[in-house]
Amino acid sequence: MGNHFDSIDQVARELAEAHYITDRALATVLFLAHRLEKPVFLEGEPGVGKTEVALVMARLFETSLIRLQCYEGLDATTALYEWNYPKQLLHIRIEEQQKRGKEEIERAIYSQEFLIKRPLLEAIMSTDEKAPVLLIDEIDRSDEEFEAFLLEVLSDFQITIPEIGTLRAGRRPIVVVTSNRTRDVHDALKRRCLYHWIDYPSFEKEYRIIVTRIPDIEEDFARQVTAFMQKIRAVDFLKKPGVSETLDWAQALMTMHHSYLEEEVVDATIGCILKYQEDIKKFKEEIWSHGEERSQYLSSTG
Amino acid sequence: MVRSVPNTSLQPGDTLPPGITGQVVEFAGFLKTRGYKVFQSSILDSLRSLGNIPLFNRTDFFHALRVNFASSDIEWAQFADLFAEFFRVEKEESQENEQALPSARIDKQEKGPLEETIHEVQTSVCIDTGNGEKRQLEGIAYSPVSRIEKKDLFHLDPKDVKVAQLALKKMMAAFHLALSRRLKKSRKQGNMDFRMVMRKSLKGGGLPYELFFRERKKRLKRLVILADVSGSMDRYARFVMPFLLGLRGVGPRAEVFVFSTSLSRVTALIQHLSIEKALERISEEVPDWSGGTRIGHSLHQFNQAHGSQLLSGRTVVVVMSDGWDLGGKELLRREMAAISRQAHCVIWLNPLAGDPDYRPVCQGMRIAFPYIDHFLPADSLESLNRVGKVLSKVMVH
Repeated sequence: MGNHFDSIDQVARELAEAHYITDRALATVLFLAHRLEKPVFLEGEPGVGKTEVALVMARLFETSLIRLQCYEGLDATTALYEWNYPKQLLHIRIEEQQKRGKEEIERAIYSQEFLIKRPLLEAIMSTDEKAPVLLIDEIDRSDEEFEAFLLEVLSDFQITIPEIGTLRAGRRPIVVVTSNRTRDVHDALKRRCLYHWIDYPSFEKEYRIIVTRIPDIEEDFARQVTAFMQKIRAVDFLKKPGVSETLDWAQALMTMHHSYLEEEVVDATIGCILKYQEDIKKFKEEIWSHGEERSQYLSSTG
Repeated sequence: MVRSVPNTSLQPGDTLPPGITGQVVEFAGFLKTRGYKVFQSSILDSLRSLGNIPLFNRTDFFHALRVNFASSDIEWAQFADLFAEFFRVEKEESQENEQALPSARIDKQEKGPLEETIHEVQTSVCIDTGNGEKRQLEGIAYSPVSRIEKKDLFHLDPKDVKVAQLALKKMMAAFHLALSRRLKKSRKQGNMDFRMVMRKSLKGGGLPYELFFRERKKRLKRLVILADVSGSMDRYARFVMPFLLGLRGVGPRAEVFVFSTSLSRVTALIQHLSIEKALERISEEVPDWSGGTRIGHSLHQFNQAHGSQLLSGRTVVVVMSDGWDLGGKELLRREMAAISRQAHCVIWLNPLAGDPDYRPVCQGMRIAFPYIDHFLPADSLESLNRVGKVLSKVMVH
């Protein structure tokens, strides 16, 4: 049972100190996940800060972050380990010259020196004082086979490498699994985790995020940007912008030395926010071309 | 404060102590009747969670239960209402539990983020204290999942829809797993199996004399979906389409077409979108959703433009339509024959076929019938389940 945190309050406090703006619900999940030693399953639209949770956890626990980025076709080998074949081949050739016996060579090439550790194995074999944070990012992009494999790993944190033996984690890593919900992840995996849905932030939350992440920004400007983003998310676009888009946009505007939202500025930079051509078209035709709508969007009230 | 949570060595058969434990278990049962997936481990873990938080804090109590019992976005969005409904009723019945239970209503604050999520979350349960309350709750009748499964999709009322959505999700997940379990391994050559190569090369001093290949994974047949989205089909489309769209990820590059008076290819339009967005996009982009259907004409367009490319011994064609056709007989016959000849298998989903007395009386259906390999009803969740089973059999190479 993890005992780094004493209470939900403490988690909330430490998250705030680490500049991660969130609500008590997330602090509760993290607290319980830590206490119960269960992985956290974070779901939500792209860009709401799921990956950031793992980053912040690593900072809070003062430990390393090991990241496994999932994609279609990801298999056990790429996630777990692979032998360094070229190195092995070379070694064999060299040792053969020295007339070493077959068994000796075999023992040598199947040792840890020739083992390429991929993220999952790294997490298991971590010899750090503190258990690492293992981030399994975008699990919905992998396939069901990989999910089943992951399930096995997550249950005991134990791997058997035929040539070496069984390796067990000294300390259970802290696991964060994220998903963009492009498909349903199988029950068995979700059951193992504590679930949390991260939604788009409220006005206050988004404002605080901007001000925390971009310290130089003027308050009024931040408010304007927040109001704009909040309004845009109410529109039914194909791909709603997330918080990362907000921050990108704010940063871009500051870099261009703007400190106020104006019609031309928005026109020029809308590509920071909307990434589908249809969405931009819809925005320009249905919203931006109407004077009243425009001024609403440019105001700084939430 | 009352912290009566026992440790986790609960054995089946132990009498549950009164208080929170019993309520949590009952709550789990309650969620189950509303279509939630409730796991044994969730109940135990929620009790363990409660053992770690200050129970007098209503918010934390709510959160602790939610992280354990909600396991999808829909369940998450509905949780607040169900929590309010359950614990309010409980409060009426047993006064002594009042201490341990959250007594105030869920603040507007709390509801805020949830409201922004899925807009379908229904707030039909009025959260007001008062005498009229109990009566109000009794007035709302939710059908348990089992009854919804057999209900005709056309007749689902809005309250049932949510439960049906959850049930549909569950169904699709099971279908996916069944499919991947049944995949055969083929012996075709694929990637190199370096491990074997290395092992065997030790014999020859490190030179890879013998090459080994890693087994190429199974092949699934490709799915081509032709969905009738004309007026009469609309209600069914709402459920069958999500089911079919959920199959997009299964097997190589499924293709999706919709038709009413003519055919439109929507595969690219909906490629990376979630199911809800995909349906929206389809209804926006595709003209004439209302009005009649010209099945023959649409199939003709399909065969002309895509037949040679998509139809092969490795394709499974799924047509969803009630068969009411305004077009010519010969045209329909000819096109169905062409499809049937070239594709591996033709599956026809008909929402009207659920009626045991159904006979394909409408001309369109009669003409198409001989060319259909599997004729299946698609009018209830139960029938969709059967469709899934047939598909999983048919799609394995």
